Amino acid sequence: MPASPHIFGVRHLSPAAAWHLRQLLDRVRPKLVLIEGSDDADELIPHIVSPKSKLPIAILAYTADAPVRTFVYPLATYSPEYQALVWCRENKAKARFMDLPASVFLGLMDRDDGTTVLEKDKPEEPEKKEKEKPTLAQTLGVDDEEDDAAPIVEEKPRRDSVYDKIATLAGEPDYETYWERHFEQLRADDTYLNAARSYGAELRSMEDFSTRRAAENLVREAYMRRKIQHAIADGFKPEQIVVVTGAFHATALGPELPPMTDEELAKLRKREAKMTLMPYSFFKLSSQSGYGAGNHAPAYFEMVWNGFNKNLAASLPTLFLTNVVRELRTSGTFRSTAEVIEGVRLAEAMADMKNSLPTLRELQDAAVTLLGQGDSAVVRESLLRVEVGTAIGALAKGVSQTSIQDDFYRELTRLKLDQFKASVKRELDLDLRENRRVKTAEAAFLDLHRSSFLHRLAVLEVGFGQQLTVRQEGTTWAERWALQWTPEAEIAIVEAVLLGETIELAVAFKFKQRLEKCTSIAEAAVIIRQACECGMSASIELARQTLQRLANDSSDFTALASATYELGLVIRYGDVRQFDAEPLKPLLEQLFLEGALSLVGAANCDLASAKKMVGGMNELNKVALDYTALIDEALWISELQKLARADHLNPLLSGYACALLVERSLISNEELAKEVSRRLSPGISADLGAGWFEGLAQRNRYALLTRLALWEQLANYVASLTDDEFKRALVFLRRAFGDFSPAEKRSITENLGEVWGGNPDTVSEVLGEELTEKEKKKLDELSDFNFEEL
Amino acid sequence: MPKETNDDLRQPGEILFAEELDALIKAEKHHVPAGWRMSPRSVLTYICGGKCGKLDITPKYIGHQRLVEIAISTLVTDRALLLIGEPGTAKSWLSEHLAAAINGDSTKVVQGTAGTTEEQIRYTWNYAMLIARGPSNESLIKSPIYRAMESGSIARFEEITRCASEVQDALISLLSEKRLSIPELVTEIPAQRGFSVIATANTRDRGVNDMSAALKRRFNIVVLPAPADLETEVSIVTKRVSELASNLQLKSEIPNEDAIMKVVTIFRELRAGQTLDGKNKVKSPSGVLSTAEAISLLANSMALSGNFGDGTVSDNDLASGLQGAVIKDDEKDIIVWKDYLSNVMKKRGATWRGLHSACQSHVGE
Repeated sequence: MPASPHIFGVRHLSPAAAWHLRQLLDRVRPKLVLIEGSDDADELIPHIVSPKSKLPIAILAYTADAPVRTFVYPLATYSPEYQALVWCRENKAKARFMDLPASVFLGLMDRDDGTTVLEKDKPEEPEKKEKEKPTLAQTLGVDDEEDDAAPIVEEKPRRDSVYDKIATLAGEPDYETYWERHFEQLRADDTYLNAARSYGAELRSMEDFSTRRAAENLVREAYMRRKIQHAIADGFKPEQIVVVTGAFHATALGPELPPMTDEELAKLRKREAKMTLMPYSFFKLSSQSGYGAGNHAPAYFEMVWNGFNKNLAASLPTLFLTNVVRELRTSGTFRSTAEVIEGVRLAEAMADMKNSLPTLRELQDAAVTLLGQGDSAVVRESLLRVEVGTAIGALAKGVSQTSIQDDFYRELTRLKLDQFKASVKRELDLDLRENRRVKTAEAAFLDLHRSSFLHRLAVLEVGFGQQLTVRQEGTTWAERWALQWTPEAEIAIVEAVLLGETIELAVAFKFKQRLEKCTSIAEAAVIIRQACECGMSASIELARQTLQRLANDSSDFTALASATYELGLVIRYGDVRQFDAEPLKPLLEQLFLEGALSLVGAANCDLASAKKMVGGMNELNKVALDYTALIDEALWISELQKLARADHLNPLLSGYACALLVERSLISNEELAKEVSRRLSPGISADLGAGWFEGLAQRNRYALLTRLALWEQLANYVASLTDDEFKRALVFLRRAFGDFSPAEKRSITENLGEVWGGNPDTVSEVLGEELTEKEKKKLDELSDFNFEEL
Repeated sequence: MPKETNDDLRQPGEILFAEELDALIKAEKHHVPAGWRMSPRSVLTYICGGKCGKLDITPKYIGHQRLVEIAISTLVTDRALLLIGEPGTAKSWLSEHLAAAINGDSTKVVQGTAGTTEEQIRYTWNYAMLIARGPSNESLIKSPIYRAMESGSIARFEEITRCASEVQDALISLLSEKRLSIPELVTEIPAQRGFSVIATANTRDRGVNDMSAALKRRFNIVVLPAPADLETEVSIVTKRVSELASNLQLKSEIPNEDAIMKVVTIFRELRAGQTLDGKNKVKSPSGVLSTAEAISLLANSMALSGNFGDGTVSDNDLASGLQGAVIKDDEKDIIVWKDYLSNVMKKRGATWRGLHSACQSHVGE
């Protein structure tokens, strides 16, 4: 039997594995290191270890055509794989990846019928799939962590998995703590290697080899053996080779098992694959929660890794808790150094009960007990910052290249925005109108195209540009943006490749997804507006169809009103944004009609909903004024009149409808006075009357203030009340006038003063005077007045 | 220490569970901190249950083992421990058993009230003797905390937030200097190794005072939550009810699991303001409806049925207890309870019908 190379079983993203691996490499001094990872990524190795690359980074593999399949292979400084690559560069040894090529991995994600394997468990929400990229380990069970074929991010954690059982048996609260205590704290030579090896073998013995995932594992192992054989055939002696693989595979890569044959390899399903490096972030690393490789706290693990190298592991608790307390102080909660000291002692005492050094779990508990004073909410955010961290990777220019990045940079140059790709925030004012002083059409609409481009990025959630409000309200042609380039934005762009090859395609796909799950007309209308801002006429049409379909089934007044309003805005944009708004007009007409018709029915509601409806009525009224020619204004007015006259509907809305009619001069002074008097007659309960008045007073107050007849009626009403009734009415009248400005209140009193026979000047004079004792007493009596009794 | 006889209404933990404690001490394999009777691990086993040789150690505190670990570790580091929680989250219970396991003596207790004075925390005098002989060691009356410092053991401070803030602050220098000065005798006594204080405090009752930040800093604070899920709470209630029944010699059968489940369900739903499945909102009454209340409600129902009924806990016995627990002083509570009866309980189907009609007749409709 041929000799076996050194096989080192690791857990991915494990600082202890990285440290022990480097020790082993220093001892063995191999000529070749084989690493678990797609072997077609070999050409990326120089970029990975380049001094210009700042970790975390990730290898992204994706299919060239639809349906898009992807996987991500993240690397941090404390990844054993990364440290192996770095060691090879430092010691001029060769490094190769040895796992199945990405084309096969991506091929394996398809079932024979072409659907994705991942969809098995979640058929009800397939659209999520595109966004969440399972990591390599997740998809294929690279790691020894997952026990079925479809682990998906955000899936509910499986209870009672074999890992939970291990943790329970070991008396640990969770599997991560178990791992950290039993593996990450190992120091002596070879302890990690042996522990991981026997751990992997134990797991293997419990494995059910009939599942698809297990079958994939076997295929991968056969391929890895093949690669090892190739390496030996290339002239490397087995003892000069170190193999870095997941602990689960450590016992299955020896020469005693057969390697994959050429025929077997040819049979594997393949998809054309592209690979690239992308910058990654600690936040993303930690949010891949399904990936059980101990990366829930990247910044903490990096701290552990630094501890290994500087031999500072003993002060890890001090470092950790000091960092937490510093974060706490910056966020405004002061905690003393004494509490940090006690926290370190507590963490050590708790770990001592388990004969170990403190793990993250003990540090968290100590932070909650001492720094949070028992309340975890106090320290949660600071803890997250110290555990997860904010580090973002970076790559040398030109290394990360996906088609969508190419597209992005091309557009950037075309739109003369290159100068804005800087880490300093700069503002950009856009004038969307045609620039008639330039010659080419391209230049004439430069700002318009810039705007579309920035809106598209916003839809893709790429944090490059942020739209600011323009002071001049209602201008459709002016926009102001704040542009700032961040590595996070680059990550977002790379991720968008999953939606489409270019920015435009990705945005179109995103709109399509959103429309497919869209159930409210208000949302559909927002999508129409966004599509219009993005200059995507095909998406507008798609959204229009969705909106029309939804509008047919809806009679929700508020939603209809806001959709109508949004649509109105879009049509108004039409000229400026150079697209044909004609197809939208019939829809506006339809929406307006349905909105207007549902008004009276919806007005039979309580006060809380009425307040929302006021907004809707305002919006519909604006549309009615803007598009008089397009919509059925007569209908709107007649519905308003119905509402204004009705006594059985919400009085606030009746009052508001009345105000809208007053604004349009459709109610004469006498009619208004009559209506006020009718609404405020002594027989009607005070809350109805005052509620109506409140609605009336919400609009065009100047128009009301100048109508003396109205105030005469109000004065008569007040005069006609008995003392008890007055007290009752006072509550509601107070509410009605509550949000008038002092100047308006003054002019009301002047009006009333005039009605009661006073001279405006004397009235203001009286009001300006200090209160007399007697008046004060009267007012105080009113404050004692028990409103509850009413 | 007062003599313990079997007729005591309630025996302290170290006597009730003496057998378990002895077994644990005998089987001790790990390092025992100074002043302790057993290692921290054994304390954990005593509180959370487990095995000691052939003897089963009954769990005293169910759920949240992690919090118990924090509490024990706190005492190992000679820090004072403050247990905070809503009424009925087993604060005093945990504190008693911690002291019982660590020292075999849970009786050095200061019971905090609005009338507690600083003397009760430090020391006071036998005034007759003081006048006759002047200040001397003989005329000194030591507080439980004084005695704990002297002997290097744990003192308990119950309901610390009920004491006036100035009185609470008497602890500050005690806890940081670990010495108690007696100026009258021109001396001070140093605390021996093993001395610590376990205080308990209530967060929700009326009539509690705030703790000063300085005092808080001297405690490690552990918040005891209400039981996390229905099963945990049911098992806590079942266990405590059967213990109470044998203690109080109630002549009634233990309520069956179904009855306990119903009571706990009602308590949890009213406490959380929504049904267990989260589908319906319900109004919450003014009271806390703690686990402890559920326990005493069931014990009470047993007493009722044992003395006036047929010896099995009937729906009727439960109904009167439930009404008493839910409807406190507030008139609104009646509405809450009626709402709950007709909106939730009535719709629960046949298994709940008996209890529902019993409750309904108690409310008087």
